[in-house]
Amino acid sequence: MIEIKKKQFGDFIKNLMETYRVFAPTKDGKKSSFSEIKKADEIVDVHTTKSAKSVFFPQAEVLFNYSENEIEVPNLEQKPIALWGIHSCDTKGLLSLDKVFKNAHQLPNNKMYEDPYWNKKYAESLIFTLACNEPLTTCFCNWFESGPFDKTGADIFVVDNGESFLLEAISDKGQTFFIQSGFDQEGEHQHAVFSLKKKAESMMEEKQDISSVFETLNEIQEKEFWEEITQKCINCGACTFVCPTCHCFDVSDEGKHQKGKRIRVWDSCMFGIFTEEASGHNPRGLSYQRVQQRIMHKFNYFYDNYEEHLCSGCGRCIRVCPTNLDIREIVKKIIKRKNNV
Amino acid sequence: MIDKLHEKVKSLLEEKQVELVIGWGKGSLPLTATPVFIKDTKDVDQLIFDHTCRNNLTMYLTKDKKSLGKIHDKIAIIVKGCDSRSVVLYAVENQIKRENVVIIGVPCSGIIEKKKISELTNDMEVLSTQIEGDHIIIKGRKEEFKFKLTEILSDSCLQCRYPDAIEYDHFIGEPRGEIDINDEYSVVEKFQEKSSKERWEAVKEEYSKCIRCYACRNVCPSCYCNECFVDGNDPQWIGKTPEVTDSIIFHLIRNLHIAGRCVDCGSCVSACPVDIDLRLMNKKVEKEVKERFNYVAGIDINEKPAMASFCEHEKQDFILD
Ligand code: SF4
Ligand code: SF4
Ligand code: SF4
Ligand code: SF4
Repeated sequence: MIEIKKKQFGDFIKNLMETYRVFAPTKDGKKSSFSEIKKADEIVDVHTTKSAKSVFFPQAEVLFNYSENEIEVPNLEQKPIALWGIHSCDTKGLLSLDKVFKNAHQLPNNKMYEDPYWNKKYAESLIFTLACNEPLTTCFCNWFESGPFDKTGADIFVVDNGESFLLEAISDKGQTFFIQSGFDQEGEHQHAVFSLKKKAESMMEEKQDISSVFETLNEIQEKEFWEEITQKCINCGACTFVCPTCHCFDVSDEGKHQKGKRIRVWDSCMFGIFTEEASGHNPRGLSYQRVQQRIMHKFNYFYDNYEEHLCSGCGRCIRVCPTNLDIREIVKKIIKRKNNV
Repeated sequence: MIDKLHEKVKSLLEEKQVELVIGWGKGSLPLTATPVFIKDTKDVDQLIFDHTCRNNLTMYLTKDKKSLGKIHDKIAIIVKGCDSRSVVLYAVENQIKRENVVIIGVPCSGIIEKKKISELTNDMEVLSTQIEGDHIIIKGRKEEFKFKLTEILSDSCLQCRYPDAIEYDHFIGEPRGEIDINDEYSVVEKFQEKSSKERWEAVKEEYSKCIRCYACRNVCPSCYCNECFVDGNDPQWIGKTPEVTDSIIFHLIRNLHIAGRCVDCGSCVSACPVDIDLRLMNKKVEKEVKERFNYVAGIDINEKPAMASFCEHEKQDFILD
């Protein structure tokens, strides 16, 4: 563990910028999101409104430009990304997205298809997970075998103790960065970190045992269950757009005549046309069917594929929902149903 | 007042006058009410009415191609002044049959805009609140604030002329009466003082924040089209990305579509996850319709909507100048 005094932080970021494009939480109007910074003082220490997924998976990304007889893919050879100040819930979100984009599907030659737009950016990145000293009351990462000081997925784990940042190399990439930067892993800060960790954990609400959720969802057949718990949803995309794990996208062409660009742009299972077919038929034409899809994807389908839930408990969807459809309450109702049967 | 509301709802359900009652219940977060759908008299106690009952619930009457109306013969809905105007709008626009909806009107003394609290408290997480007279005490983990209610009520409420439900079958509580408002277009007037360049810059800056989540549209009772122009993809009318020019087109067209139909309930303003000032343009269009056609949305159930009627002597300078 090494210590960077806050006074030296500006220089640290400056050095980092020689090798990396540095992304960090910044003000975005009255809200906050992750964006590329030029100076350390642009960084804000908040629970960002938007998640960090947009760093690697932007809301709109040009896949290629086309003209009558040419296709040009944007230059993917860019300086690697260093992502500073991401909380463990977002780091875990990135791990989930990596599962989707890295091994998207099996090709006929038995190789896995790797999404080139995601893969290079994420694979070469350096993730500085920042311990979350003050979880919000809407945070529930502790439901998912995680917590405000979870190091999973971090290359370097950072603790802010007020005066300094304490850095610990976690992954091989993190170790290499330490060696290249001439940092010495040794250092006596364990005690301070331990008490900050205890304090943050004590601020969290009680943890729920969600081990039955996957199975219970397999068993729910009747639509009344879904209608009842999702009735108030207005099917906007707010929850899925701020979510660090939602990753559905649509592909859209923008251009005139023979020239234009093909763009992938975030979609949302909440939207009415989400699975509308060319015939006009929509298997998820009703509101509850789409919320059912959101919940099933998060707590059943994804679990089926990867044995983890597609939710990191960041609480953003709870904070932005215009109707206060609280995902924790939905999960609790699923758990309760199990206990009642 | 709340007991009377519970009693009324209970009797409506017991006497089978309605099958479903839409109202507000306590939400899972401070200062947040949540829509509740009551079918059973044992759940009636869930209903609340206070400064947190933000959403205009009438949109549920048209949600999902009016699916609730197809399931239930009769629905009761609890409405504030602005919300009641949306029910009038639905009746005028033939979206509901007035006699199929039982309207329970309540007098509203304003809804708290959580965004104002965030701004005044530097984004402090609110843990609890307490109302004392015309003040509110807001507690966070480390800090505590005291505000006048007028500092944190939503702008729509501060400039609301009709706080009592206008149209109703049952009215619960003491009516506040029509309020004489003389600054209802102050935001528009202030904006109009700017040069056209400044206005354009301001509009661009505001809408460049839009993430196109459509919370504003979906929470809006006036936006009930089965297919919104932004969703069409064959042909596609508008770009799908959050590119600012497309977002401006989305908002300006939505503004035109709600001309003479927006009731200034403020639901869209509160819903926007990125705090875009949506009220300015809503008010601009409202002002325009009022001045040109002497029409205010949702006031008179027998009057034809401004955009569905035509008089020869209407000002037409925008066509023939
Ligand atoms: S859960 Fe809330 S944020 Fe998500 S679509 Fe429904 S209303 Fe919108
Ligand atoms: S579903 Fe909600 S709580 Fe879970 S990761 Fe997404 S935004 Fe966060
Ligand atoms: S545009 Fe906004 S203020 Fe007007 S009726 Fe719709 S939700 Fe209410
Ligand atoms: S709610 Fe806000 S971000 Fe979402 S579409 Fe409307 S203006 Fe844009």
